[in-house]
Amino acid sequence: MPNVNFRHRDGSIDVVDAPLGSSLMSAAIKHPVDGIIAECGGNAMCATCHVYVDAAFGDRLPPMAEEEDEMLDGTASARTERSRLSCQIVVTEEMAGMTVDVPADQV
Amino acid sequence: MTRAIGAGDDITLTELWADPYPAYAKLRQDEPVAWVPAVNRYLVTKHRDIVALERRPEIFSADETGSLMKRVMGHTMLRKDGPAHDRERTGAEAPMRPRPVRDHWTPLFQKTADDLIDGFAERGEADLFRDFAGPFAALNLAMMLGFDDVAAADLQEWSQALMDGTGNYGDVEAVWRRAEAAGAGVDQAVLRAVERLGAQPRPSLISAMLHAGDPLSVDEIRANVKMFIGGGLNEPRDSLATGLYALLCHPDQAQACIDDPALWRRAFEETIRWVAPIGMYPRQTTQEVELGGTVLPARAKLGIVLASAGRDEDVFDHPDDFDLRRKATHHISFGGGPHYCLGSFAARAEVSQVAWPTLFRRLRNLRLDPDNPVRWGGWVFRGVLNLPVRWDP
Repeated sequence: MPNVNFRHRDGSIDVVDAPLGSSLMSAAIKHPVDGIIAECGGNAMCATCHVYVDAAFGDRLPPMAEEEDEMLDGTASARTERSRLSCQIVVTEEMAGMTVDVPADQV
Repeated sequence: MTRAIGAGDDITLTELWADPYPAYAKLRQDEPVAWVPAVNRYLVTKHRDIVALERRPEIFSADETGSLMKRVMGHTMLRKDGPAHDRERTGAEAPMRPRPVRDHWTPLFQKTADDLIDGFAERGEADLFRDFAGPFAALNLAMMLGFDDVAAADLQEWSQALMDGTGNYGDVEAVWRRAEAAGAGVDQAVLRAVERLGAQPRPSLISAMLHAGDPLSVDEIRANVKMFIGGGLNEPRDSLATGLYALLCHPDQAQACIDDPALWRRAFEETIRWVAPIGMYPRQTTQEVELGGTVLPARAKLGIVLASAGRDEDVFDHPDDFDLRRKATHHISFGGGPHYCLGSFAARAEVSQVAWPTLFRRLRNLRLDPDNPVRWGGWVFRGVLNLPVRWDP
């Protein structure tokens, strides 16, 4: 299964084995990755699984639905063009080696 | 069933109402999932156990048997699991997402705040619980529901009556009557709103449920509106008043927010960690399961104590202190899993983006009234019960 790197603000990295077809959030929770909270359990309701995705992988992600777009306006750390909710990213082979940055705050 | 003497045996409802935190600290230490005879439930008091159980809603069900909430409100989405819940939740969600909260509701919240403050700004003193927090939350909730013709006072009465009904474990007849009267008032108001909104959708909760892709029936809308009235009024009111009290007790922290407005949201999250407005909610096991070292039988009734999770010393340093600069911020006071608070972003905006900054801006030298102490009460729902303040008019 593909590895995805979760990079923390101190530069340390969690390398996560992300099962194909699962969400990036659930892989992070199982690991577990500090700073990925996912309070609502993957329903795009809480915006606490926010990540910043490496721009080079942007076109390999599923398109953003309206719900996710609206929820990202409520993140605790500022939204950028790289912002996604990791619960809405279904893992594919193309994501192998992708790096995502974990924001400072989720709540 | 025989059992050893447990850590929860001596707990009384009186002490929980007055100050539940010492009892919770003892439970976290001695028996984190403990049978508490006074509340006829197992209380779950550790942060980690609550996070774990909210990830397994198929075992820790919200659909409690004998629920007083169902008796008073009907079967709301808050007491449903799985697809039945998700259908109603999805129907109600759109107007409560962060973007409509920011673009549509927040300017309206601001008008509510300014109108209320206009009414007392020259007095130089007020009880901001009674004169501001209550009506502010009620007026905003009426707008969000789509109640154009309901007075704030009626909404506050309905909310209290419905909440008292859902907590009427003592089976007091007068409480049932008052809750029934409130329920009838809500039913009528919903009917009028449905007639109005049927032809013309608007960005309100009732409109969203009525015009959802899979529309909710009028009965479903009525039940859910009663739940929104129970959960959408007292909680923003209590977090507003309790956090404002904390900020007035810690003027350095209030000043930090005034100097850096990004910190108002931190102050809000810290407030609901410190004193969770919903201190406890129920769950029921669907099978035998081990949690926090205790084996729970199937159909065991649980009280999920969010108030205790916020004070868990394994997660938060000096947990009894209000400190918006604390490092760990992962409170779970909005609940977790599919029932994560629908109004979380509206509450954040009402309290931390509008109410607090506006009060501190408009009421110069805002301070606690030294002659009138603040009173506290509650454990299922908890907050300050009054907030007497003075300012320089």
